[in-house]
Formats: sequence, structure tokens, C-alpha cells
Amino acid sequence: MTRVGAAVAVLLVVLAALAAYPLVGTGYGVRAMLQLFMWIALAASWNLISGLTGYVSFGHVAFFGAGAYATGILVSTAGWPWPPAALAGGVAGAALAFLIGVPCLRLKGPYFAIAMLGLNEVLRALISYFEGLTGGGNGLSLPTLQATTPVYYAMGLTALLVVALTHAVITSRFGLRLMTIREDEVAAEAMGIDTFRHKLYAFLLSAVGPGIVGGLAARDQGYIEPMSVFPLATTITMIVMVLFGGKGTVWGPVLGAVVLFVFQEAVWARFIYLHQLLFGAIIVAVVLLMPRGVLGLLQMRYRLPRTI
Amino acid sequence: MPLLEIARVRKHFGGVTAVNDVSLALEPGRIYGLIGPNGSGKTTLFNCITGLERPDAGTIVFDGQRIDGRKPNRIARRGIGRTFQVIRVFPELTALENLVVVTRGARAEAEARAVELLRLVKLERLAGEFAGNLSYGQQKLVEFVRVLMPDPSLILLDEPAAGVNRTLLNDLLQAVARLRDRGKTVLLVEHDMKVVMGLCETVFVLDHGDKIAEGPPGAIQSDERVIEAYFGR
Amino acid sequence: MAVALTPAMLGQVVVSGLLAGALYAMVALGLALIFGVMRVINIAHGPMLMLGAYTTWLLFDRFGMNPYLTLPVSAAAMFVLGALLQRTLVFRVVDAPELSSLLLTFGVSIALVNVAQLLFTSDLRSVEFLTGSIALGPIAISKSRAIACAFAAAITGLAFLFLQHTKLGKAIRATSQSREVALVCGIDVQRIHLIAFGLASALAACGGTLVAVMVAIQPEMGQIWTFKSFLVIVLGGAGNYPGALLGGLLLGLVEQLASLFLTTQLSEAVAYVLLVLALLVRPSGLLGGRQT
Repeated sequence: MTRVGAAVAVLLVVLAALAAYPLVGTGYGVRAMLQLFMWIALAASWNLISGLTGYVSFGHVAFFGAGAYATGILVSTAGWPWPPAALAGGVAGAALAFLIGVPCLRLKGPYFAIAMLGLNEVLRALISYFEGLTGGGNGLSLPTLQATTPVYYAMGLTALLVVALTHAVITSRFGLRLMTIREDEVAAEAMGIDTFRHKLYAFLLSAVGPGIVGGLAARDQGYIEPMSVFPLATTITMIVMVLFGGKGTVWGPVLGAVVLFVFQEAVWARFIYLHQLLFGAIIVAVVLLMPRGVLGLLQMRYRLPRTI
Repeated sequence: MPLLEIARVRKHFGGVTAVNDVSLALEPGRIYGLIGPNGSGKTTLFNCITGLERPDAGTIVFDGQRIDGRKPNRIARRGIGRTFQVIRVFPELTALENLVVVTRGARAEAEARAVELLRLVKLERLAGEFAGNLSYGQQKLVEFVRVLMPDPSLILLDEPAAGVNRTLLNDLLQAVARLRDRGKTVLLVEHDMKVVMGLCETVFVLDHGDKIAEGPPGAIQSDERVIEAYFGR
Repeated sequence: MAVALTPAMLGQVVVSGLLAGALYAMVALGLALIFGVMRVINIAHGPMLMLGAYTTWLLFDRFGMNPYLTLPVSAAAMFVLGALLQRTLVFRVVDAPELSSLLLTFGVSIALVNVAQLLFTSDLRSVEFLTGSIALGPIAISKSRAIACAFAAAITGLAFLFLQHTKLGKAIRATSQSREVALVCGIDVQRIHLIAFGLASALAACGGTLVAVMVAIQPEMGQIWTFKSFLVIVLGGAGNYPGALLGGLLLGLVEQLASLFLTTQLSEAVAYVLLVLALLVRPSGLLGGRQT
């Protein structure tokens, strides 16, 4: 069997095991896996814009929150079933990304990063302002529904699709063009690449996954409020996962999500008050010592193909 | 009709005039040189032509259409390619990807063409290597053939000879001459006078943003203003 | 939301806006300084302000110091911390791609917030020192805000005098113009980076001290200041240091004006809308015009 064939076989076995897991797993286990899927989808999405183009999104949780609220409103006030409502959450994420991307991605430099940093505060303020529609600071309750297992599959599918999308992008010329923006944006333009358009497309793609995932999380938790769906901590976690695993790679965000999630559950839960300090330290350490992350490092050292 | 016609182009940075009312015209199928002391405005003029800078005044017409103030990617797509004074390959893309990324249309075709161009500069064996891992001279060659990928009609080369060894340089110059023979127009900024004199049919001289001379290399070499600009007054 | 705009209200807006604007300008000048000298946007700038505020609270709470007298202490402490940060971490990414410096200072910023949480908990702290306001005809001026404005104006003025007239200040400006030129002129660029980072952090700390007397202190208060400082630089445009002054006053005025028509929550969003508008209207603002 070729190496690619072996890799595909392993992947299929893992997917089959994950698909069968709810039949045998405990309630806690299923919920934990659901969370892991969520982190994989979020980290892989962040990687699409920031890992590939080098434009850092410090506010990616905004799309998660937008998706959560869109889904929450559609389910609780318009009576939509949750699956299409979660998809609408993805649309809401992309729509928000369009609104921010058009003014902020036209320019080079850190405009975009700072605009995304400020976005969280604004959305939190807006959501609590539009109290009538969104439940405001008191939060929004979704009708009770026992749907952990379907949400598990939906979340897993979303994660899988985002990773598959990353694979498709990275192996395409579109993906290479995104990388030229990271490498040397001016040279990319001088070579005829429409960098604004490419950045915008990447940004839209990167917002859909978090929107859907936000919607699914809202359904799963049954209750949302501004502080719980727009925490800066979510963005930080995405960033740490991608940086650790390897930005700009297909499997780096997955690796980062798995490793950090396991650590978080097993070890750091006991040091919750040190959490951010650790994350800050990891970011600093990775930027200084291992800017390509684990997979990027292996890729360079062992000349692995881009699809790793 | 000239392929490129620059008319009274001016560019200021703060109080400094980098390019001052420069006019010049390039006929198709010829090699032109652009020379001048450091800071005389050569690279700024390149930037104005390729859209990286917007001229404060003047017009630039390429292939019958105005391009001044247009976006760089639009201008590139019209058929102007350039290299940079400081190498600007995409370091974390392979040599092959550096070439393929600037193309459209069928990918297999693009890759075949890229391999052919790499072969032209004897780099086909390094096609899969990250551009950042190549030597300075090799990166320079990758940048040179990358310009050729979309088959531009006007090619701007910013100091192609700098930091390149003799053998490599000869290959490069031959390649440029072949481009001209295939009907391409080349404008090159160069400090190496031997290169300019040996290759260019017409030379423009800039000094402090002004065009102070234009003509065949022999005449330029004996032009008093040029000598003054280079050796002081 | 029809509000009849009386001259008194307008006067109030202008006065409050200018008071707030002076503070914005001072803090933003720090961010502009770091950006100007080393092309780094310091995401940890706001958290430095937060630490300055806590320094003041600590001295006031434990030792009963007059909060305004803590200003030199918090400025000096943050100067040292800023210089240390530059020496140990930031200098490594000055010439790296933007992504590196943004991520690095972001990492530092969340670490600083967490440290503050560990040291001071997330409880709201306040420095109750100067309350109430002075009536100036129909216009009410909060005492603490008026004093903050006076301090900010004086400190910003001193900073400009320093930049304009001292040898060190000139060296800083030369370095912002062009590192190559600075090197040629025999300026120790590393040292300039260190001092600029220290000064910038001290400016943020002064902001923290002054803000401490006005609003509640908590570990996450800093982020919004990074954002607003950046906005001020964008509004000021062109990367020149006086631009920060203008931008600060503009932001103060617009925010106050907006607060007439909008609820508190919505006026939080005004700064954001302003940034987006500024980017749309004058896209060659501060950073876009720079040569690459």
C-alpha cells in the first residue's frame, strides 16, 4: 500500500471509530468529543485566514457569537429546527466577515488585526442593546431539546468539512496565492495577484465554520448570553492551538486542538487561574522559538508535502 | 506606436522630489537602460509604472491605455512584469510554486511551462525546494523566470546583475537578449555599466529625479551632464 | 431619538470631549512612539495602562498616598517594565514579519492581564479621591476629569518638548524617519528602541493613574485602550506625532457627541464605526502610506 493509501486508511478507521463512539461512549465522553470537534473546527477556521495570509484575526470569536445568536433567535423566535438554523449561523458569520473585511482588508498592515480586536467589545455592547430581539444581557433561552448525539454528529461533520476545505485550499493555486500574501504582499500584487479579493475570500471562508459551530454550541447549551458567546478566551485558545500545531498547515490546527484540549481537560483544569498566563507564555514561546509550530517544523526538517 | 509612454510624471515624498517631470517612450522589441546615481529616482519610476506608487502628476500609457494610478495587480495583468532590487521571491513556496502561483488557466499547463522556465536557468532539479533555501543567485533566477511566467510584453528588471556571478550573469543577459528577439520590451535599471552598454539600445539617465539624457550608450558615455552627475561638479 | 440640541448641551459635549481627548492623545502618543520607532503595534499597550492604574490603586489603598502623587511611581514602574519587555522579548521580532510582533505582544498582553487577575483578583477596585464636579454656568465638569486633562496636557506637552528639543528626542525622531539614516548618524538604535518602549509604557501608565481616579479598575480594562489608541493614530494620520493629538481630541469629541443620542452601550460602538469610516474615507492613513 502506498503511503497516501495508508494515511487514508488510518483516517477512515479514525472516522469510523468516531462515528460509532456515541453508541458506546458515556455522556461525559460524548460531550468532551463534541467540544474537541468544536475546537478543531474553530482552530482550522482561524488558520484559513491567519495561518495562510498572515492577517491575524484577534476577534474570531465574533463569528462564533454571531452564529450562536443567529441560530438562537431563529430557533427560539422563528421556530426553525436547529440544523438549518445552525447553517444560517454560518451565513451570519460570513455576512459579518464581509462587513468587516471590505473596509479593513483593503489596507496592509495591522489595521485588520486591531479592528478584529475591537470587534468583540462592540458586538457585546450591541447585543445587550438589542435586548428585545436577543434577550440582551439576560441571555436567550432555546426550547428544551435532548439533542446531544445529533449535535455530536453535526459538530464532527463541521470539523471534518473545515479540515477538508483547508486541504482543498492548501493544495490549490488559490491557497498558494493566499500564502504569497503572507510571504510578500507587495510582490504578490506586482505579480498580478488581486490580494484584496483573495484576503476577503479567505476571511469569508474562515467565518463560516465558526458561525455554524456557534449555532451548534448554542443548541447544545440551550442558553446563550453575550459574555458566554463572545469571550476573548475562545479566540486566544484558537490562536494557541494553531500556533502550537503549525499555522498554514492542514493538520497543524487539528494536532494543536487535540493536544491542547487534552491538556486542558487533564492537567490545566486544576490550574484554571493560570490558564491565560500559560497561553500567553505559549504564544510568546512559539513565536520566538518555533514560529512554524510542531508540524511546520517537521515539514521543513523532513521535507514533508504540504498536505501534512 | 510606443508600447509604454510616460509623460511628465512627477512624484514627491514629503519635501523630496523623487521623480520630476520625467517623460520617456519605449518602442516594442527593444532593450532600454535606466541609469543614474543612487537616489536619482529609478526605483520610484519603476514603482510608478507598476502601480506601487501613484504619481502626483503626469500620465503613463501602456499599450494604448492609461495605467497611472491603477492597482498593481491590474497593471501586471495588462502585461507588465518586474523584478525587485532586493529579491522578493516567496520564501515558503517552492521554486516551482513561485512560478505556478502567478498563472491562471489549466494547472498542468502552468506546471509544464514552469518546469521549462526553470530548466532555462538550470534550476529544474531544485523545483521542489523552498525558495527561501536557495542561494542568492538562484533566488534571483527564480525571480527572473517568475516574471516571464505570465508572458508579459514589457519587463522591468531592477539591477539584474547585482550580486550575480559572471557565468550566471552571462546566462541572464543571453536570456534577456532572447526575450527581445521574441518581441519583448525590456527596461532595466543597472549599475554595471558594462551590462548597460553591451545590452541596451537606448539609455535614459536620471539625476535627482530629472531625466538629464537619453540616447545610445556611446553618446551617453560622453555626455557632459551625465559625467557631471556621476562624478560631481 | 429626537433630542433638541441646546447651546449648553453642545458646550458640555465640547468640554467633556476635549477633557477625554487629552487623555486619549497622551496614551495614543505612546503607541505611536513604539510604532514610529520600531514598526511594532504593541497590543500590550492597554494592559500597561491597566497595570499603571493598579499601581496607583495599590499605593492609595495601602499607603493612603494622594493618587496624583503616585504618577511618577507608576510611570517609572511601567518605564522599567516596558524597557524590560523590549530588552527580553520584543527586540527579537522588530524586523520579523508583522504577524510575529502582533502575536508576541498579544501573548504578552494576555499574560499581563492574567498576572493582574492573580495579584489583584477580578474584583472592581476604585480610587475614591476626588468626586463631584464644578459647575461652569450650565456646564458641569467632573473634577477628576478636569485634573486628568490638565495632567495629560502637561505630560503630552513635556513629551513633545522632549522630542523636539533634546538630543535624545531628536534621535528618537530620526530613528522613526529612517533606521538606516539613524545608524549612519551614529545613533545607537537598540538603545533608542529601549527608551522609546519605556517612554511609551510610562505614557500608558500615566493614563492608568489618571483613569484610576475616574473609573473602576479591573484587569480587562486595558484592551479597549489599545484599540482606541490605535484608532487615534489612524485618525491623526500620516504617522506624525502631532497627529496623535488631533486624533485624540477628535475621538473624545465624537464619543461625547454620540453619547447625547445613544445609550452608553451603543456609544461604545461609536469608536468602532469611526475606525471603519476612517479606513474607508482615508485609506492611506498612517500605515498604508508607508513604503514597503
